[in-house]
Amino acid sequence: MSGRRRIVTAALCGAVGLALLAGVGAAAHRANPVTLTVGFGQDVDTFLPATGVLVIDYEVWNLQYATLTDKAAGDFKTIPGLASSWKSSNHGLTWTYTMRPNLKWSDGQPLTSADVAYTINRSRTDGWLNYTSTTANIKATAPNPRTVVLRTSVPDPKLPTMDVYVVPKHVYEKISKKSFTKYPAQDGVGSGPFTLDKYVKGQYIRMKANPNYWHGKPAVDQVVFRLFTNEDAKVFALKKGEIDAAQDIPASAFADLGKVKGIVTIQGQQGGFDELALNSYAGKPPRDTTKFGAPNPALKDLRFRQAIAYSINKAAIVARAYNGIGTPADALSPAANPEWTPKIPASQRYDFDLGKAKKLLDAAGYKDTDGNGIRNLPGGGKDIVLRYRIRSESGYSAPTAQFITSWLKDVGIGTKTAVFNDTQLTSEIGKGAYDLFVWGWTPFVDPDPELSYFKCDQVAVDAKDFTNYYNDASWCDPVYDKLYAKQKVELNHAKRVAIVHQMLTRMYRNAGYDIIEYSPDLQAYRTDRFTGWLRQPANTGPVIFSNTSPSYANLKPIKASKSSLAPDGIAGGVFFLLLGSLIAVRRRPTSDGDQQPVPARRASRG
Amino acid sequence: MSPRFVTGKVFGSLGTLAFVIVFNFFLFRVVEGNPVATLFRGRNLTDAQRLALRHQFGLDGSKLDQFWHYLVQLGHLNLGRSYETNATVFSEIAAAAWPTIALVGISTLLSTVIGVAMGIVAAWRRGSIRDHTLTSFTMTTYAMPDFWLGMLLLIVFAVLLGWLPIGGISDPTSNATGPAKLADETKHLILPCLTLAVAYLGEYAIVMRSSLLDTMREDYLVLARAKGLRDALVRRRHAVPNALLPVVTLIAINFGFVLSGAIAVESIYSWPGLGHATYAAIRAPDLPMLQGLFLVFSASVIFFNLLADLAYAYLDPRVRTS
Repeated sequence: MSGRRRIVTAALCGAVGLALLAGVGAAAHRANPVTLTVGFGQDVDTFLPATGVLVIDYEVWNLQYATLTDKAAGDFKTIPGLASSWKSSNHGLTWTYTMRPNLKWSDGQPLTSADVAYTINRSRTDGWLNYTSTTANIKATAPNPRTVVLRTSVPDPKLPTMDVYVVPKHVYEKISKKSFTKYPAQDGVGSGPFTLDKYVKGQYIRMKANPNYWHGKPAVDQVVFRLFTNEDAKVFALKKGEIDAAQDIPASAFADLGKVKGIVTIQGQQGGFDELALNSYAGKPPRDTTKFGAPNPALKDLRFRQAIAYSINKAAIVARAYNGIGTPADALSPAANPEWTPKIPASQRYDFDLGKAKKLLDAAGYKDTDGNGIRNLPGGGKDIVLRYRIRSESGYSAPTAQFITSWLKDVGIGTKTAVFNDTQLTSEIGKGAYDLFVWGWTPFVDPDPELSYFKCDQVAVDAKDFTNYYNDASWCDPVYDKLYAKQKVELNHAKRVAIVHQMLTRMYRNAGYDIIEYSPDLQAYRTDRFTGWLRQPANTGPVIFSNTSPSYANLKPIKASKSSLAPDGIAGGVFFLLLGSLIAVRRRPTSDGDQQPVPARRASRG
Repeated sequence: MSPRFVTGKVFGSLGTLAFVIVFNFFLFRVVEGNPVATLFRGRNLTDAQRLALRHQFGLDGSKLDQFWHYLVQLGHLNLGRSYETNATVFSEIAAAAWPTIALVGISTLLSTVIGVAMGIVAAWRRGSIRDHTLTSFTMTTYAMPDFWLGMLLLIVFAVLLGWLPIGGISDPTSNATGPAKLADETKHLILPCLTLAVAYLGEYAIVMRSSLLDTMREDYLVLARAKGLRDALVRRRHAVPNALLPVVTLIAINFGFVLSGAIAVESIYSWPGLGHATYAAIRAPDLPMLQGLFLVFSASVIFFNLLADLAYAYLDPRVRTS
């Protein structure tokens, strides 16, 4: 290395060292607010509560916007929020809420019933995507600053729960309908425990404690959501203490992380599930057969579908394809609250039994008439080979398919697999050009949306746009539809739960939508800095990214937060400074050293 | 360089760009699908809301209409709006461009300077221990996948030694400005920059070494030595400038590719650049963002290729006269 170059290298090392030390200096000089840092994996699409769709959006809104009624951390029971009490009249069609006194927005403006009425009415008239399923039939009035009156045009079993995020009227009334969806909603005006302080796209979201929060200012001063595009790095950061909690722990690291002292891992159930869907379209509702595909005719036969159900060993799939994460499932879980999922009695369950599956197929006339190991359609028909669609976007999909196809082969059902991405698969499902696939859903707190997906009117019939339908089993059952309509207006909670159980047991018995497992959110948190983590629902749910995210406002610091980077920064800084000086003082080799004899091969090139 | 040569090259590049613009539109529409359905899966949208979204996304006409609309937009230098954020694609790309330019710029500088130096040293003493050591080192780094090297450096320097942060571009709890902010960002830049620099320097070293070895066979070097010039002078003045030609091309071409090729490294270090933006856009799928990003990537490759052609012609008279 020449002298000049050595100086440059030494200077570079010195600069890096100084930069590291400067960083430490900066860290030491700043005040130390109590900071909770949470690692997550997919950045915000928009902060606008009317239109965002990602889980991180909901986490930010849960912290920033209080709701008229809140939900209990333990069991989602409706509890007071901005409103302290409510009563119904007019057979449950009118609800009158009394709000807490002296409520304020984080910017000091009074928060009144006018804000609530404004949010509900504007969301209905402007058709805000995330609000309309709640507010479409509700008109709100504000007879005085502390009273909100809601009138619903149809009986609504969700009431008195009113969980839409209340937005500040004084901010939102300045935004016209035309420019509404372009509004970035980073105003930071909120009524929840924390409000948006700083957002750096692709890096982090920082929220600060709201001194005007109705429940009192939280003990945590600020919450930082730090984006990790590398899941393993997120796990390292948690182990190292750069972050306090993390969402979406990779399944491969989950078990080992649970063994680390001072870290608690959580399999948080929120009703999510994965299902094996069978295309059981049987001509209802009618659709243009020239434009839509059709399922294998055998799938229309209940006994054939039951035989498939008996051939699925869900415990084995969870243990081996899902790395032991999740719980083998029976009935569909339509809501975050487990009370909506029926228990299927043992006598009605399709527990794994290949012998039973074979017997059912034999009895139904599906025999292997040509002796090639694959059963044929009755009357010497074609081999039964089902088109199995594998998702490229799920790591579980291909291994699960290996298990399922091999069991189906054991009972004499052939399969032909093909891999699709989610966009393609959505099209395939809409077109009805499939027999089997495994995918999943994550339901809301109220079961209504998830239940609605399996009505007859959600079977794709419009060939111009077959992706606007959700019934991905193409299952149409008029009895299910009737029960759906009944639960939708049933105001007695126990009766409504009973109807939902009846619907889902019926769906289970139909064997067209085999729920494989209840899939949890994998999370972890450190125990050395905060106490007060709340699972929602109690014992089974997640601690963060839950329905109303009650943990954050409940956390208490164990000791004053410190900058964990400082000592490392000093070590790193000193290392680079030392390296720089080493390079600078290293003696230049003698000129003889540079003038080595020319190697023989080089000499021959002259 | 004749004006004819330059205009020929420029028009050639513009032609390629025009092809890319057309290809870009259809590339992302080969896979059939409905972005409204994918992005809003599970929402019970009303028909009116679906139509409004289709209109907002510009999906309510035929493919040909959409293509025409895309061309008109592009004519106004408008890349449309992101499906996901509803912000303009231009602003989204501009925000993500600076972290990538900083990362790629500095790492390219480091990898070329160090790589070329290594190549020169190795070639000048061909067959020596120094040559063997350097060549083995550069071959090893050249063969290492950058995501693997990135994880390795992350584990060593950020996790085990704990000297440097695990990812990101700045400390989220800091409100620092000025030099303190720069220091913070430098600290975050070191690992991703080192990864890219090490991953690419092998290529420069290997090309420089072989190019210099070729040059060293030339008669004019024998003459230079015969004149009694010092070894270092022969190297600096006569050998290296001529041997640099292929490296210059490589730098220019690589710069265009590295801009898009930093995807893996940006993902490992959660670096909020163009690579990360691409990853997020594919995940959505956000067609206008993808179109915009691929246009930028292709345009940068085309631009740097043009630059390489022109630089080559400037440096080597044989190219422009042939």
